[in-house]
Amino acid sequence: MAVPSVTVSVEPVIENKIQEVKLDGQEIYVAPLSMSENLTKLAHKIDFYKDESDEKGKPTSEGEKEEEDEKVLASFQPSLWPWDSVRNKLKAAFTEMCVLTDVLNIIKEKRYMVADPVSNEAPENKSSVLLLAKKRGLVVAANVLISGAERLKRSHSEHSNRAQNDYFIELLKLRQNWRLKKVGTSILGDLTYKSAGSRFLQSGTFEVTKVIEEKTDGDGSHSRGSLEVVIPSELEGVAYIQVDVKSVPGNILMPAGLGVIRSDAYWQQKLEVAQNVLFCKELFAQLAREAVQIKSSTPHMVVGNQIITNAFPGIQLSIVLCHYTGKEKKTPQAPQKLEHNHVLEHSLHQLLREVHYKNINYVPPHPVNAMLGMSKRRRLAGPLGTSRRELVEMNVRETLLEQIIKQTKHAVLRLRTMHVLDKLAILSDPQITAHWSCLNSSLECSVRINITTAGYEIVRSNSLVLIIEVDNIQAILLKDSKTITLSFEDKALQDLILWQVSQHHIQVVTHLAKCHSWTVISTNLNVGIGDIDVYGTATSIMMSSPRGDKVLSLKSGAYNKIQMFLKEVTSSELNNLSTAVVDPKWQKIMGTFKQIDVDRLQGKTFAQKVDMLMAKLSTMS
Amino acid sequence: MENTFSVGLKHNIAPHQEFLLQGSILDSHKEVLLHRLRGLCDNAEKAPEPFYDHEMVFMLRGATAQQNPVLFRVRRSVEPRDDTSWHIRYLGTSEVGDKSRHTLVRACFDVACSNNVVQFLNEMGFKLDHEYCVKGYFFHKGRMKVTVSKIFRMAPSGGSDINTQEAMSHSHLVELSVVAPAGQEQIADDMKNFAEQLKPLIQLEKVDQKRLSVQ
Repeated sequence: MAVPSVTVSVEPVIENKIQEVKLDGQEIYVAPLSMSENLTKLAHKIDFYKDESDEKGKPTSEGEKEEEDEKVLASFQPSLWPWDSVRNKLKAAFTEMCVLTDVLNIIKEKRYMVADPVSNEAPENKSSVLLLAKKRGLVVAANVLISGAERLKRSHSEHSNRAQNDYFIELLKLRQNWRLKKVGTSILGDLTYKSAGSRFLQSGTFEVTKVIEEKTDGDGSHSRGSLEVVIPSELEGVAYIQVDVKSVPGNILMPAGLGVIRSDAYWQQKLEVAQNVLFCKELFAQLAREAVQIKSSTPHMVVGNQIITNAFPGIQLSIVLCHYTGKEKKTPQAPQKLEHNHVLEHSLHQLLREVHYKNINYVPPHPVNAMLGMSKRRRLAGPLGTSRRELVEMNVRETLLEQIIKQTKHAVLRLRTMHVLDKLAILSDPQITAHWSCLNSSLECSVRINITTAGYEIVRSNSLVLIIEVDNIQAILLKDSKTITLSFEDKALQDLILWQVSQHHIQVVTHLAKCHSWTVISTNLNVGIGDIDVYGTATSIMMSSPRGDKVLSLKSGAYNKIQMFLKEVTSSELNNLSTAVVDPKWQKIMGTFKQIDVDRLQGKTFAQKVDMLMAKLSTMS
Repeated sequence: MENTFSVGLKHNIAPHQEFLLQGSILDSHKEVLLHRLRGLCDNAEKAPEPFYDHEMVFMLRGATAQQNPVLFRVRRSVEPRDDTSWHIRYLGTSEVGDKSRHTLVRACFDVACSNNVVQFLNEMGFKLDHEYCVKGYFFHKGRMKVTVSKIFRMAPSGGSDINTQEAMSHSHLVELSVVAPAGQEQIADDMKNFAEQLKPLIQLEKVDQKRLSVQ
């Protein structure tokens, strides 16, 4: 309805009197009397001075004319007229109370009336609500308890289920040691040295699996985790590199094998062994590649899993990759004692690790804008203007095979030197002592050799220093700082030392001459007369006694025995002196040299013998 | 404008390209980034390599005003002290707009030089445009270089004492760069993969140099 309708207001009948109607139509009502005002009004109507019999009541209050009629009706109680309503109400209440009392009495009698309790439903309603409330409360409490119990049960079951627990702990340990990656649902790991700088292309991916086994499996010798690793088939088994240095090219020894790793070994062992296999394979592949590619003076032979090369003529170096997978048939031959050169094997491992390191570690460029991957020398090549030749030299890098051959050569030389020195040290006269320097590398070492005679150690000017290098030995004679280069033949070293020994003898005698005050007539370091020595030159000394009547002459060479000659003037010759000799000094030139048998002289060492002889000759005559 | 490559090739300079991704990180979070990079890059067992370089940018204006000036960046290492090999770098303009390329690619010529290069350039006609110091850490993974560095304004006295310098901002600049011979495109993918691994910590992206410069 679009048209607003006329509002019709419904109001109750106005009970209040209208006091005033204003000019604008507004009505002002007389405010209704409150209870106290009403009572006051009624109380005013009571004329307390009038007694009840006085019916002709004057109108005590204004506007009470209509109540005069009521006054006539209730004439016996005129004073209660204002309280009439009160009286009526009280009377009604009294009546009600009487009725109630009568009813209660009748009910008490229980003959005509019975009071049935009618409040049964209300309590019933209440209990259901209460029940529901209680039920809900109990359900909540039960849920709390059940969830708590569930948790306890779960943790208890976890504790009891060790396999599940172990798997994750083992996986954590595995993750701490190896690189793992999750691919799909399986966990794969990496065995290779790629993150350490290796560029070998063989993949070494292993898989991690869970093993569910009963706890009653009692294999208590080693801890069995619930984690197993599956190694790729080409890395199974045990491998090692065997380096052998032989002096005579012999038969190719087939390795009998080291042993196999158990299939139920701990995963760490398995992984380490597999990684070692991979490392040995990479090492051997690198060596074999170099052996085939590089051109050197001595050809290298690569046969199957063996590399054979010559270090020196007559010395053969063989590097064998032994990979024992456990699937080979057992050979009937007894396992031979394998010759391992552990030092060289370790060196090979170290060399490969160095190659890996160089692949990854770049010298950080300063300033950082510069090219990455160059050595500092190469970076300075521009500013310093290095020549092409120097640049080429900078880029030359030694191969693994060359390096190991160098190390082998040095090891062989060192061993040979040691043998020579040990052999010569057996001689008691003179003493040869060797002091090996503790500062050495795999390509160079040095030893100092002192030649002394027991008891006469003051004479020690005969020392030499040997610097053992890769191809040769440098000998430095400290007496006169001469340097001699010796080849790898051990005979050369022996010759040299024996020659020095022979020179030492003469030096001792020179010293003794000073002590005994014998005059040294002549010394000769390279005697040109007499038998030619096998090696080197002979040394000789001639000295005369203090009185001058005896002359002792010695000659010593490297391989010849020491020869001693003594010249003295016998008494018979003295008597045959011619009269032409006027001065007794001319007697000294008389006499012939006679050879002395050195072996029969008294004394343990040659120096002692000469000492004794000189003493005797001085005192005699 | 001739391609910088062909110009370089004509004069027998090896044409290299620089692939660059840049980002920045607040100083307060630098340590976290260093830790992360140490784990991702090579040589995790060594401490990160610190560096402190001083870079001077020389400008040679062309004959006419329209030509873009040639910028040479001369860099030297202040700490560790290296006065024998300074470094000149020329960077060409980058080609932007190629959405398939994830990194900024520009021609790059690197030359090592001696320490009298400043005098030489001055005599050639180059003028020093601006200079600054860079101090930070250096990482590498394969041939990717990552530097986390802070740029410092030079003190007015010209000294390169670190205590007298003021930092330009409160954050570190992170750059991932590879210098490779021209024509190898898969480097950009490798760089993007590497940048992904640093993702929530730092966003490495290609920044358009032209929009940055005020001209």
